[in-house]
Amino acid sequence: MTTAELIRRLRESFGPAIRSVAEPVAGKVRVAVAPEVVVRAAKALTQEYDARFLITAGIDSREERGCFDVDHIFSLDNDNIFVILRASVPGDSPKVAAITPEIPAAGWAERELQDLFGVKAEGHPDPRRLILPDDWPDGVYPLRKDVKYGDWPPVGDETTDAPYPFKQAPEGTSTVVVGPFFPVLEEPVQLRLFVDGERVVDCDYRGFYNHRGIEKMGDSELSYNEIPFIAERICGICGFIHSSCYCETAEEAMGFRAPRRARYIRGIMLELERLESHLLWTGIAGHILGFDTVLMQTWRMREPLMWLCEKISGNRKTYGMNIVGGVRRDIPKELHPDILGVVDKIEQEWSQLVNAVEGDTTLRARLVGVGMLPEATARAIAVVGPTARGSDLHIDARADHPYAAYDEVPAKVITHPGCDNWGRVLVRLLETLESVRWIREALKQMPDGPILSDEIPEEIPSGQWGACTIEAPRGEAIHYVLTGGDNRPARWRVRAPTYANLQALPSMIKNETIADVPITLGSMDPCFSCTERVEVINARSGESDVINHEELLARSRAATERLRRR
Amino acid sequence: MARTILEIALSLIILIGLAPLAEGLLRKLKAIVHSRQGPPVLQPYMDIAKLLVKEDLSTTDNWIWRMAPALCLGATMVLAVLTPLGGPPAFRMAGDVIVFIYFASLAAVAVILGGFASGNPYAYVGGSREMMMMLSVEPVMTVALAVGAIKAHALTFDGLMSSPAATSGSISMVVAGIAFLLALQAQAGKLPFDIAEADQEIMGGPFIERSGPGLALFRWAMHARLMIFTAVLVSVFVPWPIVENLGLSLVLTLAKMSIVLALVGVVDVVNPRLRIDQSMGYYARIVVFVSVGALALAIVGH
Repeated sequence: MTTAELIRRLRESFGPAIRSVAEPVAGKVRVAVAPEVVVRAAKALTQEYDARFLITAGIDSREERGCFDVDHIFSLDNDNIFVILRASVPGDSPKVAAITPEIPAAGWAERELQDLFGVKAEGHPDPRRLILPDDWPDGVYPLRKDVKYGDWPPVGDETTDAPYPFKQAPEGTSTVVVGPFFPVLEEPVQLRLFVDGERVVDCDYRGFYNHRGIEKMGDSELSYNEIPFIAERICGICGFIHSSCYCETAEEAMGFRAPRRARYIRGIMLELERLESHLLWTGIAGHILGFDTVLMQTWRMREPLMWLCEKISGNRKTYGMNIVGGVRRDIPKELHPDILGVVDKIEQEWSQLVNAVEGDTTLRARLVGVGMLPEATARAIAVVGPTARGSDLHIDARADHPYAAYDEVPAKVITHPGCDNWGRVLVRLLETLESVRWIREALKQMPDGPILSDEIPEEIPSGQWGACTIEAPRGEAIHYVLTGGDNRPARWRVRAPTYANLQALPSMIKNETIADVPITLGSMDPCFSCTERVEVINARSGESDVINHEELLARSRAATERLRRR
Repeated sequence: MARTILEIALSLIILIGLAPLAEGLLRKLKAIVHSRQGPPVLQPYMDIAKLLVKEDLSTTDNWIWRMAPALCLGATMVLAVLTPLGGPPAFRMAGDVIVFIYFASLAAVAVILGGFASGNPYAYVGGSREMMMMLSVEPVMTVALAVGAIKAHALTFDGLMSSPAATSGSISMVVAGIAFLLALQAQAGKLPFDIAEADQEIMGGPFIERSGPGLALFRWAMHARLMIFTAVLVSVFVPWPIVENLGLSLVLTLAKMSIVLALVGVVDVVNPRLRIDQSMGYYARIVVFVSVGALALAIVGH
């Protein structure tokens, strides 16, 4: 389907409810609709046009047009089209009908919209806070323009002391609270598992303890060319993904593309980063299963890769190579043998590892049929990356929405029909080999030429926009940039892949045992830190062992007192 | 009398005193497979020494909690003097195979109770996993030893080891020996059966709240446990070559133990961890098909 056809059909269905249509770049359509039809339009997109929900971006346009814009971003993967469904809601009483009841994947995005913009998503099945901390006062919405970067909300009377409204444990279950710090999560996260013996019946989630306000920084403090360096620090493992994604998006918004050679260099660095990430992840997955031999050996294989990246960029990680318009460092001919040497060695050792893993019966026993994510569920929750491909979904931004050099050097999409932890493991193992192949191919085809564009406009008009996805090792990242004044974006929206994947966790760990929770979490490749504490409610005996904050404090003080006396 | 004291001292030195060294060697083996340099072989001694002088932090004033480490190591030490080392056990006048099994269980029960008493939910999960492991592994070991007892018509280790019927290499004893070897991995808490402690899932399970001397005693007991069961395995099920000289027999036993320990170490390093249900199923199958098979063979005289 072409965008023209899509627009024509949407106009037929919704008539005057479609207020305006813009397509600044081929394949990127923004359709502004009347807020009343936004749910119907979203439903039509997903059901009739097979669109996949990506993210919702709120925009504070009260100064310009007296309204909040709610942009739901969809992707038509088969046609390389992005559709942004815009509903503008009045600035004085911001509320919009929630699309979550129709599109479960939007659950977090709309909660975030409520938290950060104060645009109420009416009819949301779970309107609890997602991002703001428990003691954040009501009525202060950080991403609104009247809140300045660095403002600290007033505390005192307005601070609520009410505890977070966690879900109640179902009848006959105990609650095992994992976190806020736990070895298998990349950020502090609280996961309350409702367990019956060792079996997980249900769970509740509370996270975003580490929210850093990077988007706010982007639209109020940084300039276009400073953002790539902050974007690269969004993630410690796939930072280059975010800087590349931002740069490609900003370039699109400004109306040009980076030179071909720069795009090849981005592609090569992206694939090197994927190798770094997948090798790291494989080791960690082994470690979760107590298989430290895998951890040690994969990380040994990974080390020369880190040295290689240091040789190319000056850094083992966080390369700092991207700027809007291209890259700052070339990959000269002299480095090609180094790159080929490292990836050849990885390919050779990795093939042996893949064989060993495929033949390991104990690994199979731990992974096959565990952490099930059926294809339909994966589609409904709109998971991305290996989590989706392990459930046989053919989604890969490299193939669906080619960026960097993937239009000239296509990447093979690897899927697995397992829908379980085993499927996700195999997808990653085989993708690693595909990355090696891609790097080799790209080095062969890399054209000569400049690495920084000379088309960068002197003045960047406000009101232009771009939206791009990049396939990170753990799934696609999305950036959405709206240009503004003062040499910085009016809005820079980022969605990292784990945001989409983590929403699938409750259905993945349902009916698994506690022992399988870490590897199921690990199978979607979040990062790792350190465990803290667990609380238990013994619902079966009716006894409550929940320790609230004061009691915990009192107990902890009493324990200190006992030690002091001794 | 003096001889008994000497034998007891020797048993304790070898099975308890050298246990950390064996652990150190196993770590070295692991490191080689990992392409690492690994810690010095004496590191487990240093760890224990360090822990012994550290503060013993405690989450509870429960007396079971305080007693559990001493009970565990104490039971393990009694176990050591009841263990045959190529020759009859040092303290043979006090106990036979049944007493041995009792003390083996007591050491495990001390771990479980100590975990439950800590009040930590992870320790609770670990303790119940340990209990399930004990319930599924102990029958394997018991039946294997029962096969020997039936062959030898004796319940003492020296009776077992001096009986030609038990040491002549009958089919039932070989099968029982294999069952005992399979149980060894779990008895020592090595992968793929370190389920009760499972660092990445429940962070040490029953030991999560342990620190200082309490942890040192538990660690030491766990190291010794592997030595003790290995010694029983090679003394009872692999008694060949049978030599009269006790000193030579001891040296041979130590050599055979090293081979078994290396095997345990290799299995540990090339396996991921199983789930508790999978491991219980595994041992249930061994009990049914291997141990009971051996027992049946022994009863009909093979």
